[in-house]
Amino acid sequence: MATKSGNATALTVLSPIKNGAIGETSFADITRERCLRLPIHEQSPLVKVPNTYLARLFILDDVFYESLPANDSIFNFSDITSIFSDSARKKALPRKDHLKSKYLVFSSNFHGDLDAYLTGMWEKWSYTDHQGIQRDVRHIWEHCVAFDKVSDCAGFIAYIKKCQLEASLFFNGSTDDSLQEQLKALYLKQEFTQFAMAHQGKSAAEIQQNFKAFIARVQPDNLTAPTWPPGKSTP
Amino acid sequence: MTKELDLTDIQGNIIKAYGAYNYQKARYLFLRINDGNKGRKFVAAITTKVTTAISWDKSGAGPAVEKPMATTNIAFTYVGLKALELPTASLRGFPEDFMMGMAKRKDILGDDGPSAPENWDPIWKERVHIWMSINAQNTEALIERYNWVVQQVEASGGGVTLLTGHRGDAGEDDLPYQEASVLYDEAGNPTPKEHFGYTDGIGDPVFEGQTNIAARVLGRGKLMRDGSWAPLAAGEFLLGHVDEAMEYPKTSPSPMLLARNGTYMVYRKLHENVGTFNRFLDEQSKSFPGSKEMLAAKFAGRWRDNGAPIVKAPDDASKAEWDKAFEAADFAGQKRMLTDFTYNDDIHGAKCPYSAHLRRINPRGSLEYGVTGAYETPGALVNRRRILRRGLPYGSVKDASRDDGNHGIIFMALNADIQRQFEFVQQQWINYANDFKEGNDKEVLLGNHDASHPGKVVLQVEPGSGKPPHFINNIPRLVETRGGDYFFIPSITALKLIAAGMIDPT
Repeated sequence: MATKSGNATALTVLSPIKNGAIGETSFADITRERCLRLPIHEQSPLVKVPNTYLARLFILDDVFYESLPANDSIFNFSDITSIFSDSARKKALPRKDHLKSKYLVFSSNFHGDLDAYLTGMWEKWSYTDHQGIQRDVRHIWEHCVAFDKVSDCAGFIAYIKKCQLEASLFFNGSTDDSLQEQLKALYLKQEFTQFAMAHQGKSAAEIQQNFKAFIARVQPDNLTAPTWPPGKSTP
Repeated sequence: MTKELDLTDIQGNIIKAYGAYNYQKARYLFLRINDGNKGRKFVAAITTKVTTAISWDKSGAGPAVEKPMATTNIAFTYVGLKALELPTASLRGFPEDFMMGMAKRKDILGDDGPSAPENWDPIWKERVHIWMSINAQNTEALIERYNWVVQQVEASGGGVTLLTGHRGDAGEDDLPYQEASVLYDEAGNPTPKEHFGYTDGIGDPVFEGQTNIAARVLGRGKLMRDGSWAPLAAGEFLLGHVDEAMEYPKTSPSPMLLARNGTYMVYRKLHENVGTFNRFLDEQSKSFPGSKEMLAAKFAGRWRDNGAPIVKAPDDASKAEWDKAFEAADFAGQKRMLTDFTYNDDIHGAKCPYSAHLRRINPRGSLEYGVTGAYETPGALVNRRRILRRGLPYGSVKDASRDDGNHGIIFMALNADIQRQFEFVQQQWINYANDFKEGNDKEVLLGNHDASHPGKVVLQVEPGSGKPPHFINNIPRLVETRGGDYFFIPSITALKLIAAGMIDPT
């Protein structure tokens, strides 16, 4: 199954948003604003959801019209349609199609299995919004069709799975390790670079002695601390 | 037939680095246009003395003229072309980078901290419309041509203003021109050096239509699969010509007559922190397993004294050998020794570090990382990132232990697409190193090193040599931007059309 690559999972969720509005603002636009106002970097709620490599949220307003294929092959059907009438040519164009709803799209690459990840989303997703109000994951999905029936973690998992699309060509841009291991590795790499620079040219005995202290400080086997915080983007 | 450029239609500074033709002195002038009609008349007057790219070698086969004592060239910012009342349809055809100008591109260029536009010379607070350059073989010719330009400004009846606000050697900050000059040795002879002591201006790109290509293309054109060098497509450096993608540059405004044989120029005044550089080099060389000069060469990719490429002379012993061969070579042989090389025998950067200036601005074939056939040609990722480099040092170092003197380089980069060429090199190759597998290590000399998070680079060693790699750490900001902008250098034809108010985009 292409949804998994090693221990990494590709999750793509399309949740239909209710048609309609509160006052003059559509449910889709309310949801869009909530997505756009999510805090980023260290403040992102996804920081608290374990094992998120990379995730994004956006609103799919409609499908894109594909237009004519580009004429970059040796033979292209549209090359010869010009000998037909205009109406015949238009019939040969790709059909136009539209969505019945707007969709909340959530896509995430993460380490581990889906149920554990979705449990993390239900239990850990939290942030303070721009009005100072504490929010959980339900705030983002609130206006999606039938989400009002979701009342517990099992219900959330079932809901998301119903909205899930199978990934067909999943390329995992990360390693196969858990996020904790990756963040620890990133931390160790940076710290070790500093150590190597600080000890350039020193005697083997001194390096060895200080290396022991270095190892005691950075604790390579302790994945929880000290480490690089998830979501942190600059030193 | 082979491509020939219209040298009488192309401004001379695009084709010739005047410094290499014994033009030791230069002044760069910036002007504001106050009135479109009077401004165009001023441009018409200047155009009569604009130096073209025609040959100065009368012994050659093609047309040639006597080499002048002074040259004059002219270029415009986007707001300058607007002030000259170019039609809106033509103005809309210019690329976004040029329309925005250099100050607004600071985040891309890394012009932050001491390089940020608020710290630039006072002139950059003005609305700069026109750039002019005067390069001269001696000071008398320089002043004579400068005075002539000032007369044209006066004759414009307030149509144009020569802007003041350049900093000078005596602490002035209101000079009406930026002075530049080659540096002289103790005997008073001109040198190709800049203030850090490096030999500058070796190995500009060679492109189709230039003269004497066979002798110059080695190491300066594009590297082909069979190891030979071919001239780059003219469209990388001149609008209206086919580029390396076999397309006309997309940065051309309409009509074609406005664009053809013109190009874009990035003007940057780069202050050199000489005191910091000297202290940094002294400090770092204490722990470096090699001479101080070898370390300086690792920073630049060339040895300071004669410009020997470090990939060909990777340590003090091999440098001595190289010097002997260089001494014995004739002029053509010496040129070749300076430019004809690749990094094919230095995949790991053990000789020339990936963070050396030379390797960063022109990686030649080394982005294949030794995987023959990774791309169509070894230089495929490099050929569209080349720039013509022009300019001269300015000021003098009175106290080599201080940073605050008036000393640096007037640097100009010429290319058909500022974003794809100059800005890419600055952003991705100088201030970032993902393409070089060096994380976010910045280039040693030009990188916008941040005092609060000092940079490092790694001087690699041959794998299996048993030696440890050497770290250069705590790299300070060695070069700071003090001003500049993006300019359009029109062809002679376009200059005449602009001056006559005859640009017709339809």
